[in-house]
Amino acid sequence: MNARAVAAWSAACLFIVLFTTNPAYKALVLAAAIASLAAGAGLSRMRGLLTGVGLIAAFATFLNFISAHLGATVLFELPASIPAVGGPYTLEALAAGLSGGLTVAAAIVAAAPFSLMLATHDVMDALPAALSRSGAAIAASLNLMPSVSASFVQVSEAQRLRGWRPRGPRSWAEVVVPVVLTSVEGSIQLAESMEARGFGSGPRTALKSSPLRKSDWFLVGASAAAVTTFLASRATGGAPDWYAYPALTTPAVDLASLAACLLLFAPVVAWRSHA
Amino acid sequence: MAIARLSNLSYWYPGAEEPALRDVSMLIDSGLTLVTGPSGGGKSTLLRVLNGLVPHFHGGRIAGRAEVEGQDVIRTPTRTLARTVGFVFQDPELQTVYDAVDREVAFGLENIALPPGEMAVRVEEALDAAGAAHLAGRSVRTLSGGERQRVALASALAMRPLLVVLDEPTSQLDPEGASMVLDAVGDLVRQGRAAVIAEHRLERLLMQATASVIVENGSASGDWPVAYSPPAIRSTPSRGGAVAWSLAGVTAGFGGRPVLDAVDLTGHQGEVMALSGPNGGGKTTLLRLIAGALSPIAGKVERRPGRIAYLPQNPTALLHRPTLRSEVSLTLERAGESEPPEAILKELGLLAVAGRYPRDLSCGERQRAALAAVLPGRPGLVLLDEPTRGMDAAARAALVKLVSRLKDGGSAIVIATHDRDLRAALADREVSVSGGQVKESAMSSLPA
Repeated sequence: MNARAVAAWSAACLFIVLFTTNPAYKALVLAAAIASLAAGAGLSRMRGLLTGVGLIAAFATFLNFISAHLGATVLFELPASIPAVGGPYTLEALAAGLSGGLTVAAAIVAAAPFSLMLATHDVMDALPAALSRSGAAIAASLNLMPSVSASFVQVSEAQRLRGWRPRGPRSWAEVVVPVVLTSVEGSIQLAESMEARGFGSGPRTALKSSPLRKSDWFLVGASAAAVTTFLASRATGGAPDWYAYPALTTPAVDLASLAACLLLFAPVVAWRSHA
Repeated sequence: MAIARLSNLSYWYPGAEEPALRDVSMLIDSGLTLVTGPSGGGKSTLLRVLNGLVPHFHGGRIAGRAEVEGQDVIRTPTRTLARTVGFVFQDPELQTVYDAVDREVAFGLENIALPPGEMAVRVEEALDAAGAAHLAGRSVRTLSGGERQRVALASALAMRPLLVVLDEPTSQLDPEGASMVLDAVGDLVRQGRAAVIAEHRLERLLMQATASVIVENGSASGDWPVAYSPPAIRSTPSRGGAVAWSLAGVTAGFGGRPVLDAVDLTGHQGEVMALSGPNGGGKTTLLRLIAGALSPIAGKVERRPGRIAYLPQNPTALLHRPTLRSEVSLTLERAGESEPPEAILKELGLLAVAGRYPRDLSCGERQRAALAAVLPGRPGLVLLDEPTRGMDAAARAALVKLVSRLKDGGSAIVIATHDRDLRAALADREVSVSGGQVKESAMSSLPA
């Protein structure tokens, strides 16, 4: 699997989901992203991601529902005197929140192959030469992440046994400060190690090149076609926008835009062998 | 001709009034040079001069001269010296850039823009020289500490350096991992390479060393060190008092996967129990269960009420107060104990650094600082996870004394350790933890 091909597909997903306000297309992109990731990484590896994405999307929906007191279809009302949450709660605000939640969920799942299916060095190899030094630095910091989370568990446990109890945000300093300091020290040591191995000497080369294979070209082609078709449909009056306010309407769907979104299912074919 | 030459070299870290190195003059030739000395004496600083990390990376002031293979270290950046001097650091986890072994070994070669064809040859050659050829193609995350350090050594060797510098490369490793690394260093020297190593485990290296430097209080002398000998102190064996904690039919693990299975074990007041066994066998899980930090999947854990002193595997992560003294005071205040913080600092040989920021201390001093932070006063239950990692002989002796005192005071003590000498000096009971099972070994020295 080539990271450039994955990047092309992720970019196409992100482009469509951020370009349109129509929840029907967003839902299709999300479905394509989930199906593709399931084909490439397997459902078992996606469980944590899907739970997290579900929670984030639900929070985005909830936030819009309680804060946007707009729309014609009032579901219930809280007294306006209650600060922040007082006012009418509408079906339109709920629908707009759901649409926003779909955007967030689709964007996260579309970017997930970079962490679930590709090794750090695959991503680095795909970067243009001008970005290879930044890429190496990012790769190194990504490698530190597991130790940071392990450090958090270890420090909070040890501080608890030393008598610390979480009493308000300030008390967390006793856990957060050591974790941050340890992470910073870890980063400094890693930087020291990179420097000791000649990092920053000048232009870099890579041990292995990763050429685009047939399946990668197929993916790049499908992604390009999806974006082109979606844009063309939009330019000719298709792919209409959708607004939840002032009164809820059913989102309109046109065939060309629908086909563009369906092209994003291409990895289901291309990535099956990686599951 | 010498590979490296230091002449009247003194170095001050940024903001420091006292020099970390004082007027050091030495020659490094081919063969194995041992660098020894107490924690905080300046060993790591001296080694970092050899590849220019001191002063280029760390800043500060430097005086005198340092040359490696004719290159002036003070004027040559580390990234240029990287072609001449390979460096292996203490912690195998904090020197890994990539997640694949062959890519990791190639990192330095990529930095100097070697053509990919030549790079592949060098990677293979370096892995072979470090005794890590069988690790090619593996993910770094799946390697043990010893294997990771061999990969780090291969990464340094891939640059075909004239000199390889190793800064306590076994301090974070279990005995098996340490042997793996020291074997690889021995092989390098037999291959005719020049190596400089700072190390506390001298027994094996003394046989192969061609030169030695003792660094103490920033000054270097060419004397030969004495190999580590286990502390002469031996705590009085005891059968212990009342039951302090017990596990009955306990199964514990993570994500539904048991690490310990149906464990029955009891610990007593005034007793030291040593846990041994391979990495990943369940020693840390057992300590966390006893501490109450981990809930069992099945079974019952009971412990007497009282303070628990727990030293985690990475104890220095605890330290966050402005001074070491305030770090100890915090524990004492929370425990409601009136003991002055200086008592334990003196016991662990840290009184001189009581006013310093704990994270500015050397690696070995930090380890002792963490012990001081968790062990003051009279804890009822003491749980120590690999307390002797990176400790020099003096610090180990101080630890043995401290644990013996706590035991005599009635504390129930459990130590997870690979350190045979520590077990021999302290343990009343030895329990092997492996594959989810615990098995108690017979101790012959107990009074009837």
